[in-house]
Amino acid sequence: MRAAHTPLTRASEVPYETLCQFLYQEARLLDQRKFGQWNDLFAEGGMYWIPLEEDQEDPLNHLSLAYEDSMMRQVRINRLNHDRAWSQKPRSRTSHTVSAIVVEAVCEVSNQLIVGSAFTMAEWRSFGLRTFAGLYTHTLRVTDGRLQIVEKRVDLIDSSEAFEPIEVFI
Amino acid sequence: MNIQQLIREDEVHRDVYVSEDVFALEMDRIFGTAWIYVGHDSQIPDPGDYWTTRIGLESVVMARGKRDEINVFYNRCPHKGARIAADGCGHTKGLFRCPYHAWTFNLDGTLKGVPYLDGYENTRFDMADPRFSLKKVARVASYRGFVFASLSETAADFESFIAGIKSSLDNFCDRAPNGTVSVAGGVFRVVQRSNWKIFFENLNDTGHPIATHESSYRAARQYADEKLGGELPFELHIIDGNGAPPKFWSDLDLHAFDFGHSYMTAIFNAPDDPLSQAYFASLSAKVGEDRAKEILGVNRHNTIIYPSCSPHTSFQQWRVIRPLSVDRTLVEIFTFRLDGAPEELLQRTFTYSNVVNSPSSIVMTDDVHVYAECQKGLATQGGDWVSQHRNAGQDLPFSGADGGEIGVGTSELPIRNQFRAWREYMTSDVAETIPLQSSEP
Repeated sequence: MRAAHTPLTRASEVPYETLCQFLYQEARLLDQRKFGQWNDLFAEGGMYWIPLEEDQEDPLNHLSLAYEDSMMRQVRINRLNHDRAWSQKPRSRTSHTVSAIVVEAVCEVSNQLIVGSAFTMAEWRSFGLRTFAGLYTHTLRVTDGRLQIVEKRVDLIDSSEAFEPIEVFI
Repeated sequence: MNIQQLIREDEVHRDVYVSEDVFALEMDRIFGTAWIYVGHDSQIPDPGDYWTTRIGLESVVMARGKRDEINVFYNRCPHKGARIAADGCGHTKGLFRCPYHAWTFNLDGTLKGVPYLDGYENTRFDMADPRFSLKKVARVASYRGFVFASLSETAADFESFIAGIKSSLDNFCDRAPNGTVSVAGGVFRVVQRSNWKIFFENLNDTGHPIATHESSYRAARQYADEKLGGELPFELHIIDGNGAPPKFWSDLDLHAFDFGHSYMTAIFNAPDDPLSQAYFASLSAKVGEDRAKEILGVNRHNTIIYPSCSPHTSFQQWRVIRPLSVDRTLVEIFTFRLDGAPEELLQRTFTYSNVVNSPSSIVMTDDVHVYAECQKGLATQGGDWVSQHRNAGQDLPFSGADGGEIGVGTSELPIRNQFRAWREYMTSDVAETIPLQSSEP
């Protein structure tokens, strides 16, 4: 826990424990529906991306399950908090499990790290409990002494499957 | 009770949505006879390419043959019944091979080879007998690359079927500088816990957006007001459109045609930005400025091609509706490239689809929710009839080129029109009597 409060400077020197804490904390904010605080974890221009295809390289020239900048994330949050979000009655409850956290790459020039992990998210909706599973790839940047999300990529293992609506962030 | 008694001029009995017997009859009488959208020829550009999909509950394969022709056959090996092609798009080199006992078939479905052939000597098996080949669907037709099939030899011809909404198919393709479109970017697939007809009714229903989509258009406006001084970028513009005032909706036009088809005029326009200007220039360069203006002047929201698909001509999106069971429906969303247009235009098509029709759309989720609520409510004993009274009896013949009927934007004309077609399909042969689930006629 101490590491999380030590100002960070270089991506290459971020302690592994700090990275783990960051990913756990991010997931916990979602599970606690602290969506505004969650959105604040993103760097300016940071993107939240759920590709439609396995190994999809391009978010612009292909459909994606979600490809959201801070505006679209905030609009989604505004909606989740709206009284007449009919499909959120009862509202979604989620539980994330994040594991197998590995540092995949560090870039000194951009002061960024790429962190891979595995996740499952159980979600309870009016129609029952369902599970999402897949891999996260976080591109993180060290700015102002802390970690920020440049991109959160969510590769669902069933990304090309037929889905019932996905409303909360995975 | 007679099927005729389920349909009145301005209301329908709830059994059309909740009765498994009605659903079974629909698969036979509607999906077993109507022209059903199978796919687009750009999905299978080369011989050996195939696309596996469904017609009603039947698994079918659309395959490009050696002579460049398109074949559609049932996905069932004539030997033991295994499906010979996996779901989705694929390619096979010259023949289909059953994974079970390796019977092989030419790209047109005819039987090519059978292992242990000597074992069939002096039996009633015959290589040339069509029943040992893949069974072709009764009829296949296409218009400007859109391939439809009918499982019936005798139902209406394709030209009559498509007549009313041909102008939407033309406009879909005419918007391309090269005059052709091609599927691009993958397929969204969304499952709805509701009867397939509920989705069709919603496609030209202008009474629901203000109520159903309040959370999303308020969310978009809130952001625009707080952060952008009220400006609406493209993504927020298309969300905000659902919150237009009642007069906006009633001022739209609804056009309805035989076979249950219809379309409504556009509810939002493409922005007038450098991309739109570059696209207009690319279209004008091919067809001339006047013709380009004429093409883009045909500005429609959803077109309905009952009972299988719904193109959105101005954002190059095509939704396909596949019934799964009486209370479960699969919707597939395809996006198309306008061949010859700037590549960035396709990105805008993807953005539109990501926002409006992705499984994670903040707009569609409330639609899917209310469809499921309808399905639940209709299963109760709270009433047997479903209202379609809005502007009933007020629709007029349309004197313009497409013909058909025209109604004010908030009329339930498209819904009544769908059920007129439904009744014709369902009663075409014999007025069969089926047991009803509810007590009261």
